[in-house]
Amino acid sequence: MKPLDRRNFLRTSTAVTGASWLPAFAARAANDPARQRACIVLWMAGGPTQTDTFDPKPGHANGGPFKSIDTAANGVRIAEHLPLVAQQMKHLAAVRSMSTKEGDHGRATLHLRTGNLPQGGIDFPTFGSLVSKERTRPDDDLPGYVSISPRGFGPGALSAGFLGSRHSPLVVGDTGGGYGGEESGGLRVENLGLPAGVSEPRADERRALLEEAEADFLASRPGIATDSHKSAYQRAVRLMKESAAKAFDLSEEKAALRDRYGRTRFGQGCLLARRLVERGVPFVEVTLGGWDTHDNNFAQVKNLCGALDPAWAALMADLKDKGLLDTTTVVWMGEFGRTPGINPRNGRDHYPGAWSVVLGGGGIVGGQVVGKTGADGMKVEERPVSVPDLLATVCHAIGIDPNKQNMSNVSRPIRIVDQAGKPVKEILA
Amino acid sequence: MRSFFALGFTLLVVGSAAGAPPEPAKLAARIDAHVDARLKAENATPAPRTDDTEFLRRAYLDLTGRTPAPHDVHEFLADQDPDKRAKLIDDLLDSPRYATHFAAVWRAALLPEVAADAQARVFQPGFEGWLRLKFRANTPYDKFVRELLTAPISADPSAPEAVLRDPTKPNALAFFAVKDARPENLAAATARVFLGVQIECAQCHDHPFGRWERDQFWQTAAFFAGVERQGDDVFAPVSDARRREITIPNTKRTLYATFLDGNAPKWAGDTNPRVVLADWVTAKGNPFFAKATANRIWGHLFGRGIVDPVDDFSEANKPSHPELLDDLASALGAADFDLKFLIRAACRTKAYQRTSAKTHASQDDPRLFARMAVKGMTGEQLFDSLALATGHREGGRDTARDRFLTQFALRGAATEPETSITQALALMNGRFLNLVTSAEGGPTLVAVRETPGMTTPDRINALYLASLGRKPTAKELDRMTKFVAAGGTDRQAERLSDVFWVLLNSAEFRLNH
Repeated sequence: MKPLDRRNFLRTSTAVTGASWLPAFAARAANDPARQRACIVLWMAGGPTQTDTFDPKPGHANGGPFKSIDTAANGVRIAEHLPLVAQQMKHLAAVRSMSTKEGDHGRATLHLRTGNLPQGGIDFPTFGSLVSKERTRPDDDLPGYVSISPRGFGPGALSAGFLGSRHSPLVVGDTGGGYGGEESGGLRVENLGLPAGVSEPRADERRALLEEAEADFLASRPGIATDSHKSAYQRAVRLMKESAAKAFDLSEEKAALRDRYGRTRFGQGCLLARRLVERGVPFVEVTLGGWDTHDNNFAQVKNLCGALDPAWAALMADLKDKGLLDTTTVVWMGEFGRTPGINPRNGRDHYPGAWSVVLGGGGIVGGQVVGKTGADGMKVEERPVSVPDLLATVCHAIGIDPNKQNMSNVSRPIRIVDQAGKPVKEILA
Repeated sequence: MRSFFALGFTLLVVGSAAGAPPEPAKLAARIDAHVDARLKAENATPAPRTDDTEFLRRAYLDLTGRTPAPHDVHEFLADQDPDKRAKLIDDLLDSPRYATHFAAVWRAALLPEVAADAQARVFQPGFEGWLRLKFRANTPYDKFVRELLTAPISADPSAPEAVLRDPTKPNALAFFAVKDARPENLAAATARVFLGVQIECAQCHDHPFGRWERDQFWQTAAFFAGVERQGDDVFAPVSDARRREITIPNTKRTLYATFLDGNAPKWAGDTNPRVVLADWVTAKGNPFFAKATANRIWGHLFGRGIVDPVDDFSEANKPSHPELLDDLASALGAADFDLKFLIRAACRTKAYQRTSAKTHASQDDPRLFARMAVKGMTGEQLFDSLALATGHREGGRDTARDRFLTQFALRGAATEPETSITQALALMNGRFLNLVTSAEGGPTLVAVRETPGMTTPDRINALYLASLGRKPTAKELDRMTKFVAAGGTDRQAERLSDVFWVLLNSAEFRLNH
């Protein structure tokens, strides 16, 4: 027997009535004067090749077989397998002069995601947690930081570090399946739904009993341990509420829009990111893995772009349609770039020396390129950008003071971004 | 290996026989005198002594890494011996689980990388296996540290030492491998865990608050300067060319191996620099080692160190009880670095045996130890306690435990454990907890539900004992009995499951208090 519980019932009923209700909701979200800026990071795990995406080298041996194409931004050309993103280029600024030192996946990932290399036993928080700390309001039903399909990360890369697990990401869809290519069924918040065999009324009753049963213990032992326990359970229960849980229900979206994002895990993840931002979540990241293309780079990159291109382009257009693009900064990045030279296995290896990231949307002046590599792509020739520079830029775009300090686990105040970081002013609105 | 432990043990016995044997009761009294003096000076009223069940649960969690079983509770409550708490501490320190638990705790301190890095995790069983051997043999801590720092490594880079022969075999070289065989990482971990100082903050610039300078950091790293990985990944073999000087990366500055106290070693022949460093680190006269070790044990038992964080001794971070720390350090040295002696003494104190419940407004400052801190549980403690309470048995390669270890790994201070939404969801709705509290139920629930002749209050009593290690109060028993009765006879099983679910999700179960 499969009872139609309240959750399913509501889901069915909103699917029917949702169509008329949703545009009004979106308009409200966009026009809310108190609306804060948000950030969506498209994280390209493995280190995406700059040469075959945003810093093409046509005519040079390092350029490989891909052609370059025109974009909506005058004079900006990118590689051929991102035609839809090319149409959005007026909202995007490419930084072609990232220059970092770490060529190891683990260390570079931590570097880009926390702004720091491992040192001194300091539990550096990942950037999303720092944003969450600045932007989460106590009465929010949804968390301040959501990470969508962050496959392959160690917990360190997703850690709130010294900010405490209050700001650790809510992870969506990190179990089962390979990358891309699948329906959005895999995109779920683990354990958000009630376990099989437990009805909603029963769950309510036992939660009420829990609250009653532990009240004396909690009251008798005031402090961080008990406060945090209580608050996490309360927030988890709020998240399980229909209205919050619904944020994760992509079936509310029109089929045509879902198609436009691409029916890949990444595509549907980008759509989910928009839904979350629309509901006030300040930081969302969506991971697309598979960029570690040591072998057979070109076939793999073409395939990856097949998932990336429609998803990213649809995200930009959808944010614009909903009036959210001005307040949502979109960042495309990985942990490093790849060698301009092509190896004997037709692949490209790790290359932190000269690579690209792309920023767009809120706070960013799109339609331009910053920085330059030489004809062979081996060296940054103009305007090197460091990791702290990049993170300081994102802070400025979303209106967070990068110099603000948090107390760390080693009793030393640590800035959101190291003071060596200087924002890339050219692309800031 | 075995004969080495035997030798170490003999030496310890001989050493102790020579002087007066250290007496835990005497040290315990001195600890209380120090703590009480401070409480008095601050006008604070300490919380009263715990009842037996609160003490039992705390001692089990702190010393063996999991909660007591119901028969342990029965036995302890029935024991009329006035000295039963001291006896219990001795028994727990002799149990195999003491070694397992302390190995996991020391592994987390020495190789925190394992929580974040899947490759490093391959080394976890072997490294914990090695630590377990040391804790099981109660190897004097100075010898144990010496063995780790001086683990034999080939000096010949063309015939390097394999770091991972069999992942399940005891392996001290895991420490070197997971630290990427980098001198700076090895120096940082050595200073942090064994000397209680964070010199690595001075890796890039002089420490802004402490007295550690960049040169001191690299002078310590220089003892490991010859250690080198022969290959690209964490599994590559290592060699140790036994160099004594190191060039600070990206500079032309070369520094020679020098101890943290500023003294230069007296080199004899081609002595291995790691041996020279280990000798200095573990020397009785070392100003850091005994204090850092005593402080770490204190921090483990009390949730915060006398210097806290436990590995941040510096001018800017003073001890809360300087005399107490000095006393503990010299007692540890006098006991030839017998960790169990120190644990025995600390656990016998009034301070350790105070309730964690707040009974007076003056108990809020955790630095006074006026009441026991409420500590978080590690993933290991939580899972192993859940497994014990529910009767869950690991079947073959069980991934439930692995998931708990990652999902519930403690970060930051033990007394400031933060619960995340994900953790709360996993406990409320996750597969494991609902399996063992479902209609089919885990072994405990099935036994409690199906045993004939028990009344509902009997069954609720049994669930409280299994999960919280205590009997319910009259109020609790009444509440739960009413809850079960309100479901009607046909839902009695479901309601008992719910009671068990509630108890396992409660803060009282999830926290070490």
